[in-house]
This record gives sequence, structure tokens and C-alpha cells, in this order.
Amino acid sequence: MSHIHLPDGVLPPVIWIPGFIICFALLYLLAKRVKRDEVRKKMPFAGVIGALMLIFMSVPLGIIPVHLSLTVLCGILAGPGLGFIAVFAVNTILALIGHGGFTVIGVNTLLMGSEIILGFYIFRLLSQKAGKTISAVLANIVALLVSTSLMITIIGSAAGLTNALPLIGHDEEHAAEVQEPDNGEVDRQQGEEPDQEVRYLFFTGWTAVAAILLVGIIIESLVTGLIVRFFAKVRPDLLDAATHV
Amino acid sequence: MHIAAVDQMANNGNSLMHRLSPVTKVCMTFLLLSALIFSDSIPKAVFLLVLASALILASRANIREVLHLAAYPLIFSVLFALILLGHSWKGGLMVILKALGAAANMLLLITTTPYTDIFGVFSYVLPGIIIDVFIFTYRSLFILLDKLEDMVKSIRLRGGLHPLKLLFNLRNIAGALGVMTIHAFDLSERMYRIYSLRGYSGKIPITREWQHLRLPDFLLLLVSIAVLTGVLI
Repeated sequence: MSHIHLPDGVLPPVIWIPGFIICFALLYLLAKRVKRDEVRKKMPFAGVIGALMLIFMSVPLGIIPVHLSLTVLCGILAGPGLGFIAVFAVNTILALIGHGGFTVIGVNTLLMGSEIILGFYIFRLLSQKAGKTISAVLANIVALLVSTSLMITIIGSAAGLTNALPLIGHDEEHAAEVQEPDNGEVDRQQGEEPDQEVRYLFFTGWTAVAAILLVGIIIESLVTGLIVRFFAKVRPDLLDAATHV
Repeated sequence: MHIAAVDQMANNGNSLMHRLSPVTKVCMTFLLLSALIFSDSIPKAVFLLVLASALILASRANIREVLHLAAYPLIFSVLFALILLGHSWKGGLMVILKALGAAANMLLLITTTPYTDIFGVFSYVLPGIIIDVFIFTYRSLFILLDKLEDMVKSIRLRGGLHPLKLLFNLRNIAGALGVMTIHAFDLSERMYRIYSLRGYSGKIPITREWQHLRLPDFLLLLVSIAVLTGVLI
């Protein structure tokens, strides 16, 4: 769910170049780790997982302006290594059709890859002690919260953290302006410093974004949990990669 | 997601841009993209946007489809530009121009070059197994998209989606996606068996019939290098 749709030219090179370097380093490492025999069996599955992620992203959620990606579910099914490679393929294809710039592929792969890796290991840990459905929901919530925080930090570092984070600074600044004791001072300040007013408006916008993200996380976690429950009933072998330590 | 429409334009188009080598087009895209990223003035960004748009027009792409695709980066860049507008209008405008220019470059590439050829060029720099994942993803995407369309249609026909019943919808969508995942898993096993029969040993061989560059290829590359140099100076 938390990948950046920003076009090229928005993120500064100081963010996307290290993003690419770390992403390629991980990809080469993972590609080397996959054994030759396993490659034959697993590559078609990794490809299908990538296609599934692209399809999940195209499922509309009605009035909620976010889309599913079900990366945690894909991580549970494919494992962290193959899942990460599939995420890279997904982000490249998305960039090729204009859903996010080419320069953000590395950062996006790391963000979605973090969901896959965290989700897989949290699910593996929890499913040994709790039910699979609840483990999947919790793994999804934690993984998405971490990746969403990372995403906000990245966007914040490009636009300025005060603009990107919904709950820092703006309300206090505005409150201070409104409580100004001098007569007419409030009007004068607001009139002469439109920047403050704009920032206040952006605070509102980011709060709305935070609410949308939370609803998105809850929906994605619910759907992941329901699908995992369905697998546990119908094809428990699909969950073997994550449940067999 | 417009992948089918883009695929159709790339494979069935017949213009000079379509006939150029994929290597040339990928290199040109990266050069112009770099020029955009490093451009520091509005006139330069406008020039790069106009250049990419002119090349798209010359490639006789489906303009309606291209505009539709360009709307995504436009919307996201406008959101980001609004944040920057608090500091300066020039910064906001640059964000929009750069985003549109980059999207135009990318659209020029994908509407004139089939995905398989683009993956072929990527295979020069990426490990083989990653290229295989690209190819398998691309191959299974269309099969699964058809399945999803049929599934959503049948859920709708049977009253499985209701605009006001969110939980009811979620349960049904989750069931459909679960069935789809199981189908995808079976598809991957079938693909594995088919590829094994054809001698797949962990690397899909890629033929590159387009390796030899011709005069138009060199000209386009020279223009792209000149543009990048002009922007950097």
C-alpha cells in the first residue's frame, strides 16, 4: 500500500540514488542466494506473485482513495527473497506505465520490500503461537505502519518534514497566532503572512492523508487476514513457506 | 491499468520511432530523463517537455490514451507542487514540468517499444533471474487480468458487491482474490512444467535482433547527448 507515486524530478538525487544502490545491492545478493535448482521451480512463481501484486493494485476500494497491494500476503506466499525480486519487477513495470517515476523504483522497492520482509517474519513468529488469520492481520498492520512511516519520512525529507508530517508544529503555530493578545494583531499577522495560513491548510490536508492511510491499512490487513483464513481452509500448503521454520 | 493498450501501441505502431533500435530508445529515455532531473530553469524544463511531446506526436501514438496515462503523474505532481507552493511558485511549477516531461519520455518509450524488448535491454545490466521474473510477471499478468475481469463480473451479477455494504464487499473481494491466488499458483506450476519441457534451466534465452544501430539511431542518440550537455552547461 505504501509506495510512492511521485513522478521523476520530485525526489532529490540524495534520496533516490542511495535508494537504487541499496536496492541493487540487495537484488544481487538475493539473486546469488537462490540456488540453480530452485531457480527453475521458483522463477515462474515469483513472476506470478509479481503479476498478482499488479492485479491487487487495480482492485478499486470504492470511495477510499487508496489501493490494495497485498505485499505482505505475497511475502507470506513467496518468502522474503523471491518477494523482494518480484517487488522490483512490479515497481519497474509500474514506472514504465507512469505510476511513479523511474527514479523512485529503488526507494519504492525498498519500501515495499520492507513490508514483505517484515510481514513474512512477523507472520512466521506469530503463527507459531496464535491463529493464522490473526497473525496475518497483525503482521500486516505492523509491516504497513513501518513502511508508511518510512514513506512519510522520505516524502517529508523531500518537501520538508513540517509540511509532510500532519501533527508537528502547525497547530501550535496557529494557536499562538489566534491567541495573540494585541487588538487587531491576529488579522494583521494572517494578512501579512500568507505562508502561515497556507501551512495551516496543509496541516489539514496531511491529517486527512493520515486518516486515509489508516483506513487503507485496516482494509488491507482485513483482506490479508481473510485471504489467509481462506488458504488455511482450502490450500494450507500455500502457507508452508512462512509457517515451516 | 492500460498495460494492454500500451502493449497494442508498442507492437502495432509503425513510425520511425517504432523502427528504431530499443537500445537507442532506452538510452535516449535515460539521457532525456537525466536532463530533466538536472534541469534548473523553467525554460529548459519546458523545452524538454515540448521535445518529448513532439516525439510522441511523431510516433503517431493514441493521444487520448497517452493523455490518460500522463494524468497520473500530473495529479501526483500537482499534490506535491501545492506543498512547495508555500515556499515559491517557481518550485511548484518546476515540479509539475519535470513530472510531465519525465512521464512524456517514459510514455514515448513504452508506446514505441514492446515490453519484451525493454526487458531485453535491461538484461545487459540486470541478473538473468530478475529478467526472467519480469518476463514471467508480464506473461501471467494478462492471463490473470482476464480471470479477474470474469470473476468481478460474476460477483456483480450474483449481487456480491453492494455500494453501501463495505464489510460484505470486503469478504467477497477477499474470497475472489483468494481463489485468484490459488489459480495463479496453479498457473505458475503449469508454466514451470511447460518451460521445463522446453529445456528451461533457470534462464530464458533472449534474442537481440536489434543490436545493430543505423543512422537514425546514431542521430537520435547524438541529439539526446547534445540536449543533456546543453542542460548541464
